[in-house]
Amino acid sequence: MAIEKWKLEKGAQCYNCGDATIHDIVVDEYSIKIRCRECGFSRFYTFHMVDLPAKSENTKK
Amino acid sequence: MNALVDAGITGFYVLEYKGMSPQDWKGFAIKEDPKSAISLIRDYATDAMLICSVVEEERTDEIVESVMKALEGEKYTILEVPIRRIIVNYKSEVQERAETWLMEKKVPCFYCGENAVQRIRIDMNKAKIWCTNCGAARYYLIKGVEKEEN
Repeated sequence: MAIEKWKLEKGAQCYNCGDATIHDIVVDEYSIKIRCRECGFSRFYTFHMVDLPAKSENTKK
Repeated sequence: MNALVDAGITGFYVLEYKGMSPQDWKGFAIKEDPKSAISLIRDYATDAMLICSVVEEERTDEIVESVMKALEGEKYTILEVPIRRIIVNYKSEVQERAETWLMEKKVPCFYCGENAVQRIRIDMNKAKIWCTNCGAARYYLIKGVEKEEN
């Protein structure tokens, strides 16, 4: 389940500074980091669980 | 309840309580202390129920008739009170809910391997990433926050 880091951006109102700013989002295999470019306030999420569909015909390999 | 619903009410609230009728109360004199009052209620008061509902004025007679029919032989009191105004205040939850972000990224799925759109939903305390092709989902929970000192 090795994946490359995803780098995303999202324009939203910052929870900390309240300004409409760009947030950098880095999605890793086991974590997500969201950082406000304006005030540097970051939120960290860690991997909790995975929910996989049952292997069936429509799951392409 | 069935009679009320059949008569066309849409909402109600119910309060269970203990009560005494004026005829039971007549001739009673109790000491003004909480203990006496509580023991009086425990020993003499009967179980009762208060059902309240707000209905349109023109439907009142129909509802009252239907309730009287359903409760024939039971002891009840019906009070009809005009309502001058109703103010309903909801707790604002908009602010708390506004924090959900939805994003997409097209990459090979870690599970099915298909180059499909991976949807990302980020809430205040949790996040979910799932593949639009196979449905495999990863869940994340908030670990903490960090403030950078300027």
